[in-house]
Amino acid sequence: MLDAQNNKIERREPAQVMRLSRLGSLHQCRLSFMRNLTRRMAREGWQFSRPVFDINDAGVGRAVYSAKGPDRTYSLVAFAHDLPAELRSDRVIAEAWDATFALFDGVPTTEDVDRLSQNVPLQEAGRVSEKELSLSRANRSGRLWAHVVDSLAAGHQPDADQIAQVGYLMRTTAVYGSGKFGAADREKLSDRPEMNAPFQAEMLSVFLTRAFVRDLVQHMAQAKGGDTAVPLDPVLARDFGIGNSTGLGMAPFIVNHPILFNNWIMAREEAIARVRNVETATPDAVTTFRNLLQCSEASIHNWHSAHEIQIAKLATLRKDLQTISGFVAGDDLLNDHPWNRMHRWAAKTLSEDGQELLASLMLEPYGDLVDTLTQDMSDNASDAFVIDGRQTISQTRDQIENSFGWALGIDWASRENIARAWYVSEEKLEPRLGERFDEPIAEYEQPLAPARDAALAHAAMMDWDAGQPVADFLLRNPEHRHTIRRAQINATAPYSEIHDNTISATVLPIDMLRAKLAFFGATHFDPRSDRWVRISMYSGAPYPEDLNQGNADLWVYPEVSS
Amino acid sequence: MNLSLNEVEVTAKKAARGAGYSWGLAEEAGKATRWLCAQGLDGCGILADLLSATDGQDLSKMSPTALDNEWTAASGQLCPLIAGASLSDHSAQISQSGLNLGTVLSPLFLIPFAARLNGQSIRVEWNGGSAVTDGGNLSLSLNGTPTASVVTVHTTDQPVPVSVVHTRAEPSDQDWATLIQLTGRTYAPATEESRLLGAGSGLSDAD
Repeated sequence: MLDAQNNKIERREPAQVMRLSRLGSLHQCRLSFMRNLTRRMAREGWQFSRPVFDINDAGVGRAVYSAKGPDRTYSLVAFAHDLPAELRSDRVIAEAWDATFALFDGVPTTEDVDRLSQNVPLQEAGRVSEKELSLSRANRSGRLWAHVVDSLAAGHQPDADQIAQVGYLMRTTAVYGSGKFGAADREKLSDRPEMNAPFQAEMLSVFLTRAFVRDLVQHMAQAKGGDTAVPLDPVLARDFGIGNSTGLGMAPFIVNHPILFNNWIMAREEAIARVRNVETATPDAVTTFRNLLQCSEASIHNWHSAHEIQIAKLATLRKDLQTISGFVAGDDLLNDHPWNRMHRWAAKTLSEDGQELLASLMLEPYGDLVDTLTQDMSDNASDAFVIDGRQTISQTRDQIENSFGWALGIDWASRENIARAWYVSEEKLEPRLGERFDEPIAEYEQPLAPARDAALAHAAMMDWDAGQPVADFLLRNPEHRHTIRRAQINATAPYSEIHDNTISATVLPIDMLRAKLAFFGATHFDPRSDRWVRISMYSGAPYPEDLNQGNADLWVYPEVSS
Repeated sequence: MNLSLNEVEVTAKKAARGAGYSWGLAEEAGKATRWLCAQGLDGCGILADLLSATDGQDLSKMSPTALDNEWTAASGQLCPLIAGASLSDHSAQISQSGLNLGTVLSPLFLIPFAARLNGQSIRVEWNGGSAVTDGGNLSLSLNGTPTASVVTVHTTDQPVPVSVVHTRAEPSDQDWATLIQLTGRTYAPATEESRLLGAGSGLSDAD
């Protein structure tokens, strides 16, 4: 969009941005939560220590890793277990893990760690307290763990190709924050500058978990090999991320938190718009972009997947990267709104995956212009929940037409458009997606089909007087209350709604997962079905003791961070 | 139980849904219960009593018949969650002369909704007690356990002392069990098919 008044390039329209296929093609960027955390910790000179590492030769015990910022200290309390292979499962329904963790607010006493040792290993079946900020667990990679332990124990380094194939020594399978299982509420953290951006406690927990995992694998190798054992080559160690296996439980998040999700998308769209408005680029900025483009090619080359959808997407993305190389070889990118020209070219030429990769990349030279946007990515607008019932029926219908106009023409009685239903299973209390017409789930349906619900509410208001307050309608039609709330939220949060049908026969929940994980800063998206995905976190990042302002940001791009 | 307020909100929402309220009203129940707990009141107990009383009732008959200056229910008893949501919708102009409500079950559950009438202090009165709130703060005067009562809601110039904000809730085991039991009604019984397909497993994740 071009604003005719001042020729300012505006943010992209929600109708373009909020399609599931595009959300499912997002890539990490400068605003991603992991990078925001490492930048801040380096800038503020955080200090890291390991006050406890009490783990026996069988790999069982406890450890504490502390991160000390300018005002407060946070500590990862880790418990290592000896898990029989047959119990190892990443499913959220598992009941035992190789390692379990809590992020403690401060430095824990021995009593705190003793208390946590009775609860953290149980995960969902235990209880933590207001002193804890997150609860998580991780499993070893069956492919890589033994190889690395055995290699180091035998006195040589593990095979770099095998490391590249897997990318991590342990996978987390859930990182619970925000008051879950008794942990502190988000409100406890929201006025702390270091926790202002979303998910900073969870991202810190994973950052420290990665150091623990490296230390543990070396400890096990030492225990096994004795004097023969060698430490892990730091260059190899840096390639290890923490894997993450994410299932349907995360998919509803972006629907259930419309303001928060709006703020994430809004921040990135604003960043993109600001860079598109840059009239002339400096040679330095262009060099940065060109270098990181090359690094991206290397990074994407290392993504692996056996899933047919992702194989096709990766092939297209790699082809897009070649096309981009051709474009930037023929353009000096210095003048005449260079990034906007490139952006418009991409929109006409590349896949959504390629477009979004390029959009993220062109932010890189402009930290000064965009990084402060992370301050606006949390949801502190609790008032937005309150419905203004004085609004008229006519205004409300207009709002729904604005946010869900695309959905009003869909035949919501047609089976393929409502083939699925989101529900929570009694057995494990986790969100699931079922077949509405094949399973007895419809009466348990969760409110995760905002588009259908908007169409129903819009139709229900047809018989009401245009000037009547919507409070009257809500009194008689309480089943539409959640929809009217969302419509009013969307009036001030234009990126709060997905512009696709979340219960159609063809919906891909992995698109919802990727959107969220990309904002975390995840890479190596590897869907294992249409509804769960593996990713890597902090791959290439410095370890706590090596973190400095020179390596705190661009570690996500291979070959640039050193 | 020592609970985070997030746990209270999530459980209150699901329990209200399990008791038959719409999702939108269930969301209101979650926020209202959390607000009560943050004020140091037994929000979970108040909600458990309310849901036990309305469970199985025709909720439309416990709704205000019209949003004029005198709110009454066809059944003779107003549900404070439904009436509270209408109050929160600013559907009545609350003035010093106030709004009169016929008999309301659990009048305390109206207070979180009155607290949302921003920019003014609100006084809620019932037989045996009263509350004044300016949104964030609450001054409560109780004479015995509140029971169903007629209620008036009006603006006031009465100052409200600063409340202590509570960050945890400690409901009785019995009240918490009542809420948890109601949340159970929102869960679909597991079937073999859902075990396999619903979470999209079927592939090994242990490699």
